[in-house]
Amino acid sequence: MDFSELKDSIQKDLSQIKNSDELKNFSITYLGKKGKIRTLFSELKNVSLEERKKLGQEINEFAKTVQNEADKLEQIFKEREYKLKEAQNKINLDLPGEKIETGHLHPLTITRREIEDIFERMGFEVVEGLEIEDEWHNFDSLNIPEGHPARDALSLGKTLYLKNGGLLRSHTSAAQTRYMQTMKPPIRIVIPGRTYRSEKIDASHEINFYQIEGLMVAKNVSVANLKAVMQVFLKKFFEKETIIRLRPSYFPFTEPSFEIDMTCLICNGKGCAACKHSGWVEILGSGMVHPNVIKNGGLDPQKYKGFAFGMSIDRLTMMKYKIDDIRWFHSGNLKFLKQF
Amino acid sequence: MNISYNWLRTYFNKPLPKPKNLAEILTMHCFENETLTKKGNDFILGIDVLPDRAGDCLCHLGIAKECAAILDKKIIFPKITLKENKKNKAKDYLKVEIKDKNTCLRYTARILDNVQIKPSSKYIQERLIACGLTPINNVVDIANYVMLEFGQPLHAFDYQNIEGKKIIVRYANQNEKITTLSNLTYSLNDKILIIADAKKPLAIAGIKGGKDAEINNTTKTVVLESANFNAKLISQTARKINLRTDASIRFEQNLDPNLTEIAINRAAQLIQADCKAKIAEGIIDIYPNKVFPKKITLLFSELTKILGIEIKSTEVVSILKRLSIKIIKKNEGAITVEVPTYRQDILLPENLIEEIGRVYGYEKIKPELPCGHLSPVSKNKNIYWQNKTKDILKELGYTEVYNYSFIGDKEKNIFGLNPIEITNPVSNEFKYLRPELIPQLINNAKENLKTYSNFKIFELNKVFIQDLKEKKELTKLAGVVADTQKSSQKIFTTLRGELNHLFNELGIYKIDFEKENQANENALAIFVKGKKIGSFGQVSDYILDQINIKEKLFGFNINFEKVQQFCTKEKIFIPISFHPPARRDISGLISKDTQLEKIVQAILSVDKQFIKSAEIYDVYQGKNVPENQKSVSIHIVYQSNEKTLDSKSIDRLQNEVLSKLIKSFNWQPR
Repeated sequence: MDFSELKDSIQKDLSQIKNSDELKNFSITYLGKKGKIRTLFSELKNVSLEERKKLGQEINEFAKTVQNEADKLEQIFKEREYKLKEAQNKINLDLPGEKIETGHLHPLTITRREIEDIFERMGFEVVEGLEIEDEWHNFDSLNIPEGHPARDALSLGKTLYLKNGGLLRSHTSAAQTRYMQTMKPPIRIVIPGRTYRSEKIDASHEINFYQIEGLMVAKNVSVANLKAVMQVFLKKFFEKETIIRLRPSYFPFTEPSFEIDMTCLICNGKGCAACKHSGWVEILGSGMVHPNVIKNGGLDPQKYKGFAFGMSIDRLTMMKYKIDDIRWFHSGNLKFLKQF
Repeated sequence: MNISYNWLRTYFNKPLPKPKNLAEILTMHCFENETLTKKGNDFILGIDVLPDRAGDCLCHLGIAKECAAILDKKIIFPKITLKENKKNKAKDYLKVEIKDKNTCLRYTARILDNVQIKPSSKYIQERLIACGLTPINNVVDIANYVMLEFGQPLHAFDYQNIEGKKIIVRYANQNEKITTLSNLTYSLNDKILIIADAKKPLAIAGIKGGKDAEINNTTKTVVLESANFNAKLISQTARKINLRTDASIRFEQNLDPNLTEIAINRAAQLIQADCKAKIAEGIIDIYPNKVFPKKITLLFSELTKILGIEIKSTEVVSILKRLSIKIIKKNEGAITVEVPTYRQDILLPENLIEEIGRVYGYEKIKPELPCGHLSPVSKNKNIYWQNKTKDILKELGYTEVYNYSFIGDKEKNIFGLNPIEITNPVSNEFKYLRPELIPQLINNAKENLKTYSNFKIFELNKVFIQDLKEKKELTKLAGVVADTQKSSQKIFTTLRGELNHLFNELGIYKIDFEKENQANENALAIFVKGKKIGSFGQVSDYILDQINIKEKLFGFNINFEKVQQFCTKEKIFIPISFHPPARRDISGLISKDTQLEKIVQAILSVDKQFIKSAEIYDVYQGKNVPENQKSVSIHIVYQSNEKTLDSKSIDRLQNEVLSKLIKSFNWQPR
């Protein structure tokens, strides 16, 4: 078989190869050590040296092309085989994802952590007060003496008392003087925790609820500082550019006292049903610590000023997740809890 | 407090801002305006007067004064002129006696004769209705009208029903009773102050009038009362008898005793104008300790320091003047003022700072973050470990619940608890403070089993212990697991594994589980370094039956404060060997009661260097195993960090392990 005949037969066979077995046979027949291309060389013995060189080169080049063709085919067959295998182990791509069961943290825990985290980053230490308090810390120390209407409002009806003495704190403010007495100014603390009031339970009233109290006492603390800290906190907490405003308010333990409003997040301050079309939502109570409270904390009110604020963790959580009923928090209902 | 916009306008010559704007201004500078409603051609502002201003602002003139101060407007006070009837003298009609002058700061009365009881005039009725009051008759309506105008509660008695020509302000006797104008009868006691005649109670002082001397169509002579009582007494009585009235909320806080006279004269004037009544000459006025204006000195530096903004002293003076606060002395650094007696709430320089700040406008104070030393904040360890624990449990598939701090008799009895009792509980279900978390978690489980067949819940929270000395609060961690599809054994071992994992993650590696003698058959106590910190296991059927739960429940109950003592973040890397490990299995028989964990510990203790792990992979009791014994198979891994162990050393180690087991546990190799 001469070179050109071989070329034709190779071309023909190549075009007919259908699978890797046939390709293997083809390779053995033509490209192997004893293949037909190799044998061509042995036939070159009879031609002139010049001719041999030329033909030899041609054959070599031809062999390279054929080898390339064969390699290409091999690649194609390999791919086809993998595809086939995959098809045999076909995964149903339509089936929905399986439900992954994990645990969940209570939404109040999540909010509390976020609040604590923001204040910690601003240099406030997180401390905890007592839930069983005495009258002095819950009332007197906060400038709510016996006979004060605010005392009556809380103590006659709203405050829960224990049979063997003590009461359940009606606000986290109860811990204010405890820490003032033990810490050295500058004091920067937040006091989160559970509080207790005797209420008729409904969608917005609970007998157990959660507050976070903030207190800063130092030589120079002003309303301007309070305003800035509150504004930063609310911006970080809601992750929105919100503006705050201070309105006059009254708390026995602060003077001046403020109610702090923030721009309604639902309408961005334009006014909607949620904010009673005012564009503002009441978010927390605050003020400059009353000199009597500083005195009760064992500090000199001439020397030290402070601000304090208190807010409802329940309310912030309800706002953040649009929870419509405070009773969900103590329901223990997994349909609710699994959403967080 | 409902304020009529039209009424308010009558105190000014110049126009007021539109109702909506006025409401906004009041909100920002005085009191929140909660509602604004159009009523005919009037607007009603629902103003939430702050409690310390109840004495001077629960009335139209009070709000008018606020408007005047903020808007810098002049106010026109109503002119009060009286025509007294010289023929009759008030003191001939009535004697007033205050038994205890601490209870009643001032008692002012006037006598009006020839009174004709009829409906009050239209404008008075309209204004009362606008403010949410129901018109009754001219005398009662005028008394109420003056209260809405000046903030001084007044009361009118029918003279013909006052016995002995006497009014006595005294504490009630234990057996006295009074039926009020609303036809409710109250049993009185010696803590309740009353207005009485010579024989009987006529009114609960400062709170509500009685039926006996009620103004009615036959009334001819009226005794008008304008008094000031001990605020504390009124506040407490009103709450104790659960009767808070328009009068009591005004008497409760900061009502000016100097107001009684103006108000009573105003009422007399209006009644006279309405029905040509004759005002007896003279005013009965018992006022033992006259209240005078207070002087306060304010340092400008304090004002700047507290508000965080500098307000010009001229501006300060202007604001104070607009608030009718008189400037007595002023120099570079300070100002001394005299506060009118109707501002009983202003006692301290801080009160003045608030007045100046709010009138000036808090919106003008620029936010400014506090400056100071940047000392790092210390982490709260309790919160850190609680958070860490919650996260680990969440990873393990537990969902956190919050339950009330309260339980009732049901929980107390079923679980045999000794809880702290609440004196004034919200309800019987919430009679006690919970000393354990488990009872409520079991209740949660019961409810959730209606929807879910498997779940894991936990709570990490305070409980309250009667017997604790210093503080009665204790942080506990408890959980409940339900899985109706899995075997009890499987749930138990998973739970045990989870607890191991939890403690390991908290840096606690040495945990012992031990059977407690009296306790539940399927529960173990948990020990850390020899201290009992809790228990876990299956909830006893005895309890489930009483709560009516059919499914099996498992749970754990841990004293978290004890655990926290052992929690640590410390961790030391154990070098990893690159030499091949040798794995050997051993099987044998031991006494049924031998704790498997003890066996593992014993094996590991044989050679700490080369024995890397010992794991029990099979435990069997039953066929082919003698009673009182169990068959145990253990997988042991030997490995050196320095070299490949040859079979000789491995055999030697294996023999040592066996002899240790034989010696310590009477192990019988199989």
